Amino acid sequence: MIEHLGEDAELYPLGILDDDAARNVERHVAFCSECAERVAQAEAVAASLAAALPLATPSPTLERRLRESARPQLGARKLSANVFRFAIAAAFVLAFLGLGLQTLLLRQRLAAEDVALVTMVHSHFNHVSMNPESANPVAAKILYARDGSWIYIIADKPVGALHAIARTTAGVADLGVLGSAGETATLLVHPRERIQSIVLQRAGTNVASAKLAY
Amino acid sequence: MDQLVDDFAARRPSGLEQVYALWSRLFFSVARHVIADSGQAEDCVHDALMRVWRNPNRFEGNREMLKAYLITCVRNESLGMVRREGRRDARELKAARLAPVTSVDPPVVDPVETQRLQAALGRLPEEQRRALTLAYYGNKTHVEIAQELSVPLGTIKSRISMAMRKLHTELASSGGTRS
Repeated sequence: MIEHLGEDAELYPLGILDDDAARNVERHVAFCSECAERVAQAEAVAASLAAALPLATPSPTLERRLRESARPQLGARKLSANVFRFAIAAAFVLAFLGLGLQTLLLRQRLAAEDVALVTMVHSHFNHVSMNPESANPVAAKILYARDGSWIYIIADKPVGALHAIARTTAGVADLGVLGSAGETATLLVHPRERIQSIVLQRAGTNVASAKLAY
Repeated sequence: MDQLVDDFAARRPSGLEQVYALWSRLFFSVARHVIADSGQAEDCVHDALMRVWRNPNRFEGNREMLKAYLITCVRNESLGMVRREGRRDARELKAARLAPVTSVDPPVVDPVETQRLQAALGRLPEEQRRALTLAYYGNKTHVEIAQELSVPLGTIKSRISMAMRKLHTELASSGGTRS
């Protein structure tokens, strides 16, 4: 039997619930239409209360920031396609020119780094150093958006492939292998669920871990 | 589905642009009511809108419901920032507050909406009206309100909840809210 939200449905839009209670409301309304309707009604009342506040005008910077923040994701998708097309064309060209594949990979790598840097430039983020987990650990740090929309893992001198495993609000997720170019290995991820913690594994052994606090 | 809601849910840039054009001042006002610093208030509007725009799964309905939902997100983001950064001291909030804590009459801006709201608030029992206005216009938690009014926490939650439900009925009947 479902336990409904009760009075928390009306308290949520006022912002007076603590974080745990607020998250519970958000999770609950995702599957309970009855409570979702009740919360929606309370949100409508809160909107009426807000309409009585003196109007203030944000600076033009805010609109610009929003446009730029919305752009990287679109840009990333376009960039991925462009990189793919570029890679095919470049492979032929490089074969003719006798240049090594390394050059192409480096270009792709730089493009990926650009996406990561653009994402960070237009976001507010936290960072955390990863804790060593084995006798042969790796020095790594995680930068992550305050809204949980992306994470960027950087490992120094990875010594072998590093696999990132995340625990999210929905369970465990495999984030993939960090890409390496020289001294560092990195991985940029736009997770579907909010990531709570990350473990780096080398050959199946945990080498570093960190919890993310939002 | 409303075209604006459709565009926003589909994460089309035009959806975000329309939302901003229509309600950016309202969102910013909600954030500024909680946070004195304009830059931080803008951060909250930015973060709240981007979070929803990137994961627009939650809302189903018309643009009024979307507006109400986004207002809730901005307010929760703003109060969350204040709490996270430990700056929820009386002086900070007092500086940010644009209406006296004890006032039951919110500042007048939208005459029609405010008149309807004040009429509806006026029909609430005094203890419910006081608890609700302290929560919304005073930016106080239910714990703080319980302490201030020397009333059990459960009673405060009930008063606020009942006030919200009565206001919904009142405002809906006078065309003030849609859901």
